[in-house]
Amino acid sequence: MAEFTAEVFQNEYLADGATDAHAVVSVACSGAGKAGVTGDAAEIIIVDTSGSMDMPPTKISAARRAARVAIGEIIDGAWFAVISGHSIAQMVYPPHPGMAKMTSVTRAEALTAVDRLRSGGATAIGSWIQAANELFGQVSAAQRHAILLTDGKIEGEPPGALTAALAAASGRFQCDCRGIGQDWVVDELREISTALMGTVDIVAQPEDLEADFEAMMQAAMSRGVPDARLRIWTPQGSEVLFVRQVAPTVEDLTGRGEQTAPLIREFPTGAWSDESRDYHVAVRVPVAAVGSERLAARVELVVNDEVRAKALVKAVWSTDTDLTTRIDPAVAHYTGQVKLADTIQKGLAAKAAGDDRTATVLLGEAAKLAHDSGNENTTRLLEKVVDVVDADTGTVRLRQHVEKTDEMALDTRSTKTTRIRREP
Amino acid sequence: MTDAGDNCHSCGEPVVAGDAFCEGCGSTLVPSPPNLTSAGAALVPDASAAGDGAGSHVPKTTFSAAPGAAGTCVECDSPVADDGFCSVCGKKAPSPRDHWQESPTDWVGGVCDKGIVHARNEDAMALAAVGDHSLAVLVVCDGVTSAPDSDRAALAAAREACAALVATPQATASGIAGIVSHWSAAIAGACSVANAAAVGVARSLGDPVEPPSCTFVAAVLDRDVVTVGWCGDSRAYWLPDAGAPEELTLDHSLGTEMMRAGKSRAEAEADPTFHTITRWLGADSVDATPDTASKTITEAGWLLVCSDGLWNYASPAVAVKALVHELFAAGAATSVELAGALVDWANEQGGHDNITAALARVEPSLR
Repeated sequence: MAEFTAEVFQNEYLADGATDAHAVVSVACSGAGKAGVTGDAAEIIIVDTSGSMDMPPTKISAARRAARVAIGEIIDGAWFAVISGHSIAQMVYPPHPGMAKMTSVTRAEALTAVDRLRSGGATAIGSWIQAANELFGQVSAAQRHAILLTDGKIEGEPPGALTAALAAASGRFQCDCRGIGQDWVVDELREISTALMGTVDIVAQPEDLEADFEAMMQAAMSRGVPDARLRIWTPQGSEVLFVRQVAPTVEDLTGRGEQTAPLIREFPTGAWSDESRDYHVAVRVPVAAVGSERLAARVELVVNDEVRAKALVKAVWSTDTDLTTRIDPAVAHYTGQVKLADTIQKGLAAKAAGDDRTATVLLGEAAKLAHDSGNENTTRLLEKVVDVVDADTGTVRLRQHVEKTDEMALDTRSTKTTRIRREP
Repeated sequence: MTDAGDNCHSCGEPVVAGDAFCEGCGSTLVPSPPNLTSAGAALVPDASAAGDGAGSHVPKTTFSAAPGAAGTCVECDSPVADDGFCSVCGKKAPSPRDHWQESPTDWVGGVCDKGIVHARNEDAMALAAVGDHSLAVLVVCDGVTSAPDSDRAALAAAREACAALVATPQATASGIAGIVSHWSAAIAGACSVANAAAVGVARSLGDPVEPPSCTFVAAVLDRDVVTVGWCGDSRAYWLPDAGAPEELTLDHSLGTEMMRAGKSRAEAEADPTFHTITRWLGADSVDATPDTASKTITEAGWLLVCSDGLWNYASPAVAVKALVHELFAAGAATSVELAGALVDWANEQGGHDNITAALARVEPSLR
């Protein structure tokens, strides 16, 4: 059975009159096993087959190969389906609108069906999401996960169709999104991955798609805990300022909290494999007398209503400035990483709007943040968009010729954080 | 004191059977029944053991029930969760480590309190007495706040020193000089035991860079003679009902050095380094040998042993005596009541540090 641990990193000391308690809660899972351990697993692969997938045709053939590899990773006994997405969502396998149980027979049939994928039509992602949601609704599976591949921006369905489909699907399945090429829109896929608690990434070259799909499906199959929630108690009169996942990626969970009891809110975290995730919790508590100690938050990892790990966020008021002015290194680090992601996204938006001055300032700030926090991956991505003159001061120049896919990679991966370098 | 016990449910530290709270984290180990304080805490040695004295005066530590009914928050009356915090307002349920009293007999008692400003109670005390007024042992240790876990060092040191003194046979010599040299040697031995206990806490924590450390003061009243020994700035006062009061100890602190160099007490106490101690117990102690002093008692009065959390607000012996008399007149009649009144008074002055006050009521006419 999966085991969870929760560890808290914070400076619990607050100055006289201070109200805000910040903590990083690091949750780790081990022994998760495989998908389908608890109830059934269900997988849907959604492949964009719009007309543009044929331009160049290497995209649609890469998509076929990637879908085959993903099908190969799905464990026997799991529910699965493959959807071809164009102006509408069309069943590839099984041939009728429904889901199939994975067996050697259905696997072979699905592989053959995938080979027949042809491109043509528009990109109506909202309708694809809606179709996946309906298919998942036909099976009782504890764990529902989809992979969505697209190469273009949404067209051929009314504006708002995606948002409506996501509202209906949110909390019903998780979806990892991949954009191939450079004609898709980062914000659209990020909207999907955020709403459906999945990842988003760019696959610039069609030949890389197979390996990516394989890794994605392997990751999905290693999630033996179908659904876990963060349950956060805060004291009467307090306010939850925010709850953010800060590692491995930044995800703001604040708005997803559901009040389950007075003083208690629960935040869905989706399925877990053997992994660790860090959360930054900030709570504004009523001020208390110097010398008193209070609980600012009780953070619990809950599976099927059962508490599996617990961490306590405390507040101790003190007049000792040596104690109260210290900022916990983990809190400082992740505050910087969140700012890094935000600065990159704003910098790229300014660049896209033609405001080179603002873009230079913001991307320079990002280069400094990435450098100072040792986020080498982000530094590398930034260097493809700007020439870093001096990372210590954040001085950069926008590069003259930038590959669009490099900009998109920087944008999509801006939310990937580095772990804090913990003292040995 | 050495019975093998269980482990603390909260932090896993081994605990001694019968302890009311964990020395490691301060968690309550057993729900303490209310109002233990007046129960028969006095230990009268049985007749057969009275002769050799060894081991017959083992003190019994008693704890006052935490304010508020069991399991409810002292502030909002809501249930306290298993983790020790109120389920509604989040207030930490007071730990017995934060405030407790001991009263081994009706004429010896003390209160050890967190004060207001500090987050933890790093003071500790251990008291023992024989009911027939022939012997009292009072030990106070004040953990050094700048070194983490000093609360544990202080408690271990105080308890071990008290146990060592209780195990010491009473002086056989009848002359004053004999009694003084007997107890001076015993206190030096107990201080060494206390130092070893503080060092042991550091060892158990993996020898931190800033090892836990504490002050030490022990007072032994044997018949008409009080002998004290100390390291650091915890003090003993003799406060006779009629005669002139005396500070029996002399702080090992930069404050003392300043006064030695000619500064007035008021000038020295205004200096921010006044409290810097020059002698202490613990793994980083350079000199853990106590100074000793003694006093022959000829009239009734109070023997007070305390930490700086009290004397910060009343330092000269005359001021302490005036305070004790005022609180006695206001109704604090017994040693433990008076100790509680002194702690309350120090908290009213701001409670900037942990506060410990332990008293013995000395009545030569009663023996």
